[in-house]
Amino acid sequence: MAWLKETSRLAGVRKLLLPAREGGQHFDTPSASLRALFGPVSRSAPVESGTDLLGFLKRVYLFEDLKHGDLARLARIVHERRYRDGEWISEQGKPGAALFVLRSGTVEITRRTGDGGEIPLATLEPPSSFDELAAVGEVARWYSARARGPVCLIALGASDLDALGEHFPIPANKILRKLARITAARLQMLVEAHCLGADDGERRS
Amino acid sequence: MSATAAGPAGGIVLKYVAGIAAVALTAALAWVLRSLIVPAVLSGLLAYICRPLVSTLERYRVPRRVAIGLLLLGFVLATLFIVARIRMIVPTEIEALEYRVHALYVLNDHYRRLMGLDATLSRGNRAYQFLHADLDPLVDRANQMLALTSQERQLFLSTRPGGADAPPDTDRLLDEDRANLQTLLQRARLERATPLAAEPPVLRPATQTAPTMTRPLSWLAQVLSTWIIAPFVFFFLLSDTGEIKRGLLSMVPNRLFEPALTVMADLDHALGNWLRGLFLECCLLGISVVVLLALIGIPLRWAIAIGIFTGATNVVPYLGSAVALAGGLAYALLAGPIHPMIPLVTHDNLAIWVVLAVAAAELLKNIYEPVVLGSAAKLHPLVIVIGATGGAILFGLVGVLLAIPAISMLKVFVASTTRQLKAYGLI
Repeated sequence: MAWLKETSRLAGVRKLLLPAREGGQHFDTPSASLRALFGPVSRSAPVESGTDLLGFLKRVYLFEDLKHGDLARLARIVHERRYRDGEWISEQGKPGAALFVLRSGTVEITRRTGDGGEIPLATLEPPSSFDELAAVGEVARWYSARARGPVCLIALGASDLDALGEHFPIPANKILRKLARITAARLQMLVEAHCLGADDGERRS
Repeated sequence: MSATAAGPAGGIVLKYVAGIAAVALTAALAWVLRSLIVPAVLSGLLAYICRPLVSTLERYRVPRRVAIGLLLLGFVLATLFIVARIRMIVPTEIEALEYRVHALYVLNDHYRRLMGLDATLSRGNRAYQFLHADLDPLVDRANQMLALTSQERQLFLSTRPGGADAPPDTDRLLDEDRANLQTLLQRARLERATPLAAEPPVLRPATQTAPTMTRPLSWLAQVLSTWIIAPFVFFFLLSDTGEIKRGLLSMVPNRLFEPALTVMADLDHALGNWLRGLFLECCLLGISVVVLLALIGIPLRWAIAIGIFTGATNVVPYLGSAVALAGGLAYALLAGPIHPMIPLVTHDNLAIWVVLAVAAAELLKNIYEPVVLGSAAKLHPLVIVIGATGGAILFGLVGVLLAIPAISMLKVFVASTTRQLKAYGLI
């Protein structure tokens, strides 16, 4: 029962993660899984270039619960990073210390295989976020992220989030709650895509 | 072909030369402005300690600048309070003369009794026979330092209630002064000290204070010009809400961004823990020393003065307890009345009780130190000694105080950087 209750609560996010295809076609499991792991978590309008940082942060799903003052505070602690085409943002097997939100450009998510090859997993567009778990603790990454063309990212370090939580617990809690919702939603979608089949999950919701 | 080959090589050489020149220029600037380093670092550390307080006020909707203003006001009031307390402790000119007379008397009396000296001060017990070659010059030197000049003696005698010719046993200090004169004459006869019968030596305190007293304005201007920077650094560092960190990280290449972020977090964590722990430890040690010295009868104002110095010098490990011991023993051996709350304490065994009190304070410190300091960077005693000596050579007393935090931070920086560079496969 509790599982069903949780499922219905996450249904909104789930729909966003796995939007139904036109004509009611079924999802193929691998792409559904990847969408679950890397898909956007909101249908916010595309970010216009030239939007100021505060305006951009306001549109990011992760920070949408924050008040204006808290957003201004957040804008003072996040780091804006610019990457050239082909530059690695994060590498598989290396620890993560920050979550990234894509502000402009395109990021390619790939995974190295045992024979030295590379499998493309997903392509992210603004205002997608990735490496969310790195913001709650140092974790070894299982994929790599690379810039496709010039990319601008907003990075929020785990230490920045810790410091925010120490002095301003309310906005930090709001961010952490969003992170937990995103992680829970991604996990559930992944389980459905792998074990139950995406169409099954769709029907139940 | 040769031009293209020389191009990149020349560029690299130019980069190296520019880098070395920049480092040399920075080092030269740091050396020229070294008098500003100490106030800047101290106010920076103070700002660091106060940062959680400002954030707490900000959380209660107090604007950041107002919170900093309130803090500055608090510091000004605290400074005025401390200055007032110090002025209460600092003796007047007459009181200082009385202390010197009493201290000289107690010193000679203790020495005479300890060494079993006869009336001529030339024969003593076995300890005297064994040690007098080393100890006599020290006692002579102390006598010269404490003895009053003829002007000072006239001033001292003029303040005695019964006058200079008061009969014996009516004025304790006058009796002690007469005994001091006898001892000084005796020592002069033994040719172990400067002849004092005609004119006692001019004392160091009188000659030392003269330059400062004659040019107080220039001294004040010098101190102000150096320390005027401190409130500005304090204000601007507290006003910062992450801009400095962001600015530093913006200079870091992308592949080093996350390691640098973690290293900065480690440094921040270590410095915060160390500072807060040390501040608490210094306060606790100072309070323990005040309470224990007051318990064995040292007057409260002297106990507080010794406690403040103990707490302040405890920044250098082991120095705080040494200061407490030196201060307590100095009072026990040289100064006057005691009001013990423990019945067993007397004038004769006060020195032993001081040693016991400082040992108890040190024991207490060992109990609360793991709690307040936790895992904050610990250093090997040898590193502390070498670091403190190096700090003293470069920056004097304040260098001693700042050497330990600097070494602690360097240790954390090296350890964290190495760990991160390994984790990211950069080394």
